[in-house]
Amino acid sequence: MKPHIVVCIKAVVVKTVRGRIVRTPDLLRLNPFDLPAIEAALQLKAQCEGTLTVLSMGPPSSRIVMAEALAMGADRAVLACDRRLAGADTLATSTALAAALQKLAPYQLVLFGIRSSDSDTGQVGPQTAAALDLPLVSGVHRIELRPGGLRVERTMDHWVETFEVEFPAALTIRPEAARPRHIPLGGLSEAFDQREVELFTAAELGVSLNRVGEAGSPTRVISIKPITHERRCRLLAGEAAEVADQLMEQLLAEGLVD
Amino acid sequence: MPLKKAKDLSSLLPDTGLMDRLLTDKHRAVRRSVRAFCESELRPIAAEIDEEARFPWEVVEKMAALGYFGIQVPASLGGAGLDSVSYAITIEEISRVCGALGLCVAVHNSVAVHPLMAFGSEAQKQRWVRPMARGEKIGAFCLTEPNAGSDAAAVSATAIPGEGGFTINANKVFVTNGGVADVCLIFARTAPSAGRKGISVLVAERGTPGFVVGELENLCGMRANPVGSIRLNDCRVPLDNLLGREGGGLTIGLAALDVGRVGVAAQAVGIAQAALEEAVQYAKQRRTFGVALQGHQAIQMMIAEMATRVEAARLLVYRAAELKDRRMEFTKESAMCKLFASEAACRVTDAAVQIHGGYGYSKAYAVERYYRDARVTRIYEGTSEIHKMVIAREVLQGT
Repeated sequence: MKPHIVVCIKAVVVKTVRGRIVRTPDLLRLNPFDLPAIEAALQLKAQCEGTLTVLSMGPPSSRIVMAEALAMGADRAVLACDRRLAGADTLATSTALAAALQKLAPYQLVLFGIRSSDSDTGQVGPQTAAALDLPLVSGVHRIELRPGGLRVERTMDHWVETFEVEFPAALTIRPEAARPRHIPLGGLSEAFDQREVELFTAAELGVSLNRVGEAGSPTRVISIKPITHERRCRLLAGEAAEVADQLMEQLLAEGLVD
Repeated sequence: MPLKKAKDLSSLLPDTGLMDRLLTDKHRAVRRSVRAFCESELRPIAAEIDEEARFPWEVVEKMAALGYFGIQVPASLGGAGLDSVSYAITIEEISRVCGALGLCVAVHNSVAVHPLMAFGSEAQKQRWVRPMARGEKIGAFCLTEPNAGSDAAAVSATAIPGEGGFTINANKVFVTNGGVADVCLIFARTAPSAGRKGISVLVAERGTPGFVVGELENLCGMRANPVGSIRLNDCRVPLDNLLGREGGGLTIGLAALDVGRVGVAAQAVGIAQAALEEAVQYAKQRRTFGVALQGHQAIQMMIAEMATRVEAARLLVYRAAELKDRRMEFTKESAMCKLFASEAACRVTDAAVQIHGGYGYSKAYAVERYYRDARVTRIYEGTSEIHKMVIAREVLQGT
């Protein structure tokens, strides 16, 4: 059987409007950490003649990034899209994605970017794998196809760990794994004019509504505020040796060296 | 030393405000993909290829693989099958990083591929458009001669019909892409005594005996584009190389230029956008009299005028492109967008140099290149003065 690979992707917010998150197409981008995962999947797909589905959860405006993934070479794009899925934290998101993945079964491999560039938790991949009881290797930077599975590598504390995994499995992908291809204009033309983004409603996911969206989220963001780092400049005067002494004194006093 | 570029320029992204309602998600995705390509592949070499006047084949081949050489050619002929607004956005984004390559792609798509699509037979499309759409062959438009340019009817090149073909003698100058072009549209007199109605378009291919590529021009701007002369000395081409009908050359030329102007206007918008971004960045970082430049009202006035000109020019360009997509008359709008955008680009790049002060006059800063690249947009594909004539004629005849 030809392997079916699913890459879970996210439309991230690149800018807030007066401190509020607005998810209009011009303010959404395909999460840059998902691009290497899509590329890795495309390369695997080419090697094993498999098929590639991209899956996301988000508002209808996420369609633009799904179309971009289709233009890169995905065969199918599925968006879990329903107001009742809105306001989800990472757990509720993982629950919804796991339910969508069950609808997309059979699949052999599920890939995630290592994290997202907006909320940046890195939790959705591992949680989704756990929800589906899939073996997971996180932070993978090298993938090699083997009969019935993969050999993958990741780096932990300056050690390279090599794993052999059997299908079905899940991986979170580090950016070093693959350099994403550029999107061809003809691919965009086809994606927008001839291809469709399939929508799954909350009801179609077949999951209890109190486990998804805001209702299914045990955590909430109370507020967001930017952190500003103040930079000060102090000029030290005198001979080089004196300046060096003054600099050391200052660094010691501030506990920056010992 | 050039100052470091700050990360967030999103407030300057063109797809904000009113444009949100004018552009589709497909147009947005086109802009993003072209911008991402140009930032990663073209930005690192843009200053160097200008300095060396080098045509960057290594990037051109990647552009070709992504469909940049057949933007509006249908997929059935190997193109990307996009609309004119997408074409304008693509040219704008390439030019935002490198005017010379924006020029190469614009000329190839607009005045070389487009006339072949609009006036060519099915066999001619298969023969030339198909490889051109894949960027395997680069196109050029050969109208200008030492004594004919804006005055297109003054061409003196000849293509004398004879047994099985035409014998062309021509001296074409300032040919954009001239040094690398494979497929050239030659404007020549097939009936030397028939005046305006004696001009036809012949396709001449590099490699044909008598086809000579002359010296390249040493230009002020757009230096990475191999602009040069092409001479045809008793160059024989078959009858099948006649584009459209005999004597229909000026009709093809004018139709091509209507499309070409939108491309040049889009180039001008891209260059102006780049200059605006650099100026804003510099105004935030450079300090004078104890404050950042942006705190001075004189600078604020300049930035406001620059941003307004860029936005107005962009709207005129998209409007002309949109009219073409709707198959509506767009000669006036095409002339207006070209006139306004090219004049805007010169003013905006001039102001960007002014904001940079002495550094803006140095090759260490990109605005110096933008300033040089912008200048020619007021000259080629019809000068500003010619466009005022076109606009005045359209306005006066239309009322």
